[in-house]
Amino acid sequence: MRNSMKVAKWEYRKNMKNKSFIISLLITPLIFIIFSSLPSFMDLFKSESDPVKVYIQDEMNTWESVEETLLSQGIEWDVQEAETDESGMKEIIKNTENTAYISFSKNLMEQGKLTVYTNEEIDKDFEKQVNVLVQPLRDLQIENLQLSQQDKDIINQGITIDAVSLSKGVGEVKEDPLKRLVPGVFAGIILFSIVMTGMMIFQSASNEKKEKVAEIVLSSVDSSELMQGKIIGYFALGITQVFAWILIVVPFFIWKNDFPILEYLLVPETLLLVFIAVLGYLLFAAIFAGIGATLEDMDQTSNFQGIVFLLPWLPAALFSPVISDPEGIIAQAASYFPLTSPAVLIMRLSVLESWPWIEISISIIILLISIWLFMKLAGKIFKIGILMYGKNATPKEILKWLRY
Amino acid sequence: MSGPVLAVNQVGKSFKNKQIIKDISFEVKKGEIMAILGPNGAGKSTTIRSIMGILHPDEGTVKFHGHSAGSIPRHRIGYLPEERGLYKKVSIMDILLYFAELKDYPVKKAKERALTYLKKLGLEGKEKSSIEELSKGMGQKVQFIASIIHEPDLLILDEPFSGLDPVSQELIKSEIKELANKGTAILLSAHQMNVVEELCDRLFMIHRGQKVISGTMEEVKAQYANYKCVIRGNNEESILARLPQVQRVEQSGELATLYLEANIQPSTWLKQLPEEIQIQELTVSRISLHEIFIDIATDKKLLGEGEKSA
Repeated sequence: MRNSMKVAKWEYRKNMKNKSFIISLLITPLIFIIFSSLPSFMDLFKSESDPVKVYIQDEMNTWESVEETLLSQGIEWDVQEAETDESGMKEIIKNTENTAYISFSKNLMEQGKLTVYTNEEIDKDFEKQVNVLVQPLRDLQIENLQLSQQDKDIINQGITIDAVSLSKGVGEVKEDPLKRLVPGVFAGIILFSIVMTGMMIFQSASNEKKEKVAEIVLSSVDSSELMQGKIIGYFALGITQVFAWILIVVPFFIWKNDFPILEYLLVPETLLLVFIAVLGYLLFAAIFAGIGATLEDMDQTSNFQGIVFLLPWLPAALFSPVISDPEGIIAQAASYFPLTSPAVLIMRLSVLESWPWIEISISIIILLISIWLFMKLAGKIFKIGILMYGKNATPKEILKWLRY
Repeated sequence: MSGPVLAVNQVGKSFKNKQIIKDISFEVKKGEIMAILGPNGAGKSTTIRSIMGILHPDEGTVKFHGHSAGSIPRHRIGYLPEERGLYKKVSIMDILLYFAELKDYPVKKAKERALTYLKKLGLEGKEKSSIEELSKGMGQKVQFIASIIHEPDLLILDEPFSGLDPVSQELIKSEIKELANKGTAILLSAHQMNVVEELCDRLFMIHRGQKVISGTMEEVKAQYANYKCVIRGNNEESILARLPQVQRVEQSGELATLYLEANIQPSTWLKQLPEEIQIQELTVSRISLHEIFIDIATDKKLLGEGEKSA
C-alpha cells in the first residue's frame, strides 16, 4: 500500500503540474459561470426600448385602482387619455407604432372582458404586461358585488389541488423534491468528474508503456501496486477537480440565485450517493487501467479498445426511461447491471421520494463483487500488457492473458 | 564480505511450452563487475527480469544478500532495463526524485546525488529540462543516474552502452568502475566485447537459454581461447598449414592468421618455426572474447577442447 501511495502521489503531482490539466480545472467552472450568466449579461446590451404609449378611455375611474399594481411589477407605460372616441382611437392605433388603446368601459365589470387594441408593431412583452391587470380588475369586480368579507375571502381563496400520495407513507406531507435532487445532482457531478479523470488512467498506462518507463517502475513496485497507485492518484485528481468546481461555482450560484444549496447538500443521503459514485469510479478505473496497458499507440486504437471509452456513457441512453419511471423494469434492471448501476442508482435516488433499500443493497453488493472481479482481471491484463512492447494487444491475446 | 550479494541458482523459465532459460546459476560478489553475455534472444533479459522479480522463474532460486524471492529488498537494487525510457513531459529532477522515492531513499540526499551525477555526466543545469528537450544520449545518461540514485548494493545494467557515443561510453564506463570500487556488485549485459574485456572481472555467457562459458576473464581465456599467431610475410598458405600444432589458417594477402591447438606453449612453439618462413611482423595472442562470442553466436564451434569440457 505504501508503494501504491507513492505512485498515486506521483500521478497526482505530475498532473497538477501539467498546464493543460490546470487550465481545464479552472476553465470548466468558468465556462459554466459564463454560460449561465450570459443571458443576464446580454440583457445589459439590450437597447432600452421606449415605453408603450397607452391611450386609456376611463369611464369608471378604474385606472387609478389598477395603476399601482402595474407600477409594483415595474411596468412603465406612457399613459395618455384617449384623444377621441373608440373608432377614432382605433384608426390612430392602426397607424402608430408601439401604441395601445384600452377602454375601461362602464360594462367592463358585468361582461368581465377588457378589450385592448394594438397593431403588429408593439413591444413583444406588452401582452404579458396587460395580463397583470387581470388580478386588480378581478378584485374590483368582487368589490362591486358588495359581498360580506367572509364571502370575498372564500372567492379570493379559489380552489387549489393538494395531491397526497398515501401509498408509501400514511398521510405524509409531500417532500420537497430538491431534497433528493440536489444531493443526486452533486453525486452525479462527482461521478462524471472522477470517471473523466479515470479515463486519464487509460492514457497514463498507455504512455508508461509507450515511453518504456514501466519496467524501471516495476523494478521497485509490483504491477498491482502500480495499478492501484494510478487508480488512487486519478481518484484524488477527480476529487480535486470537483472541489475546484465547487469552490468556484457554488459561491457564484448562491450569490446569483440566493439558493440554500449547502442546506440541501449537508444531509446523510449525500454520503450514500457519493459512495455509489466512488464505486462507479473504481469499476471504470479498473477497466481503463487494464485496457490502457494493452495499448502502446493510442492512434491505432482498435474498435475493441475504443468501445471501452463509451462504457461510462451507457447510462446516458437510459436517462429518459429511468427518470420518467424510476421504479420501472428498465430502471430496476439497470440498477443490477454493474456498468450502468452507479449512474442509474444516482438518477433513481434523485427522483424517488422513498428509497428502495433492498434494491439499493443488492445493487451495491453486485457492484462491490464486480469491482473485485474487474480489479483482478485488470491486474492480470495490466501485469502482462504493460511490459509488452512494440504493438497493441489484440482481444484474443488479452483473453489469453486472463487465463494465466 | 562473507556471502555473495546475488546468488542465482538453477533458474529456469518457460513461455508457453518453450524453454527460454534453463539451469542458470551464477553469483555476483561485492565490488565485482560480472558480465552476462550472449547473442540476441539468448535469454539474458529473461534472466535479468527473473532476478528483478518482474518475471517469476518456474524453477530455481534467486537470493539477494541471503533473502529469497518475495522478501528481496528491491530498494537496494538498481536496475537499468534494456527496454527503457523516461516520462517525456516531466522535469529530469522530478523523475530522479520519484525513482529515489520509490526506492525509499531520502529526498534531500537524492537531490544532492542527482545534481552531482548530472554534473559528472555533463548534464549540469539540465535538471529542470524535460526528456523531450534532451538528445537520446543525454536521456540514456539520465536513465543511468536513475538506476544508481539510491546507492544500490547491486546494480543490474541491461545493455548500458547501447546508443551511446564513444565519449559517453567512456564516461559511463568510468562511473561503473568507480561504483564497483566503492563496493557495488554489478551485473551487466553488453554486446561490446572490448568493453566487457576491459571492464568486467567475470563473465557468464549463455546461448539458447543455457550456460556455455563462465569464469574470470583470465580463466575463460585460458580455458576457451586458444592462441593465434598473426604473421605478415610472403608465405604460401599450404606451408603454413603444415606447421605443427596449427588447426587452421586464414590468409589475406601477406597477412596470415594461424589458429593454434589448445595447450601449446607459445615460446616452445615459436622455437620450432622453420627458417624459410618469411616474417616481417609476428604477434602471438589469445583469441579475443569478441571471436569467442561470434563463434558461439554463429555455432562455428571453433573453441576446441575447452568448450567440450565446459
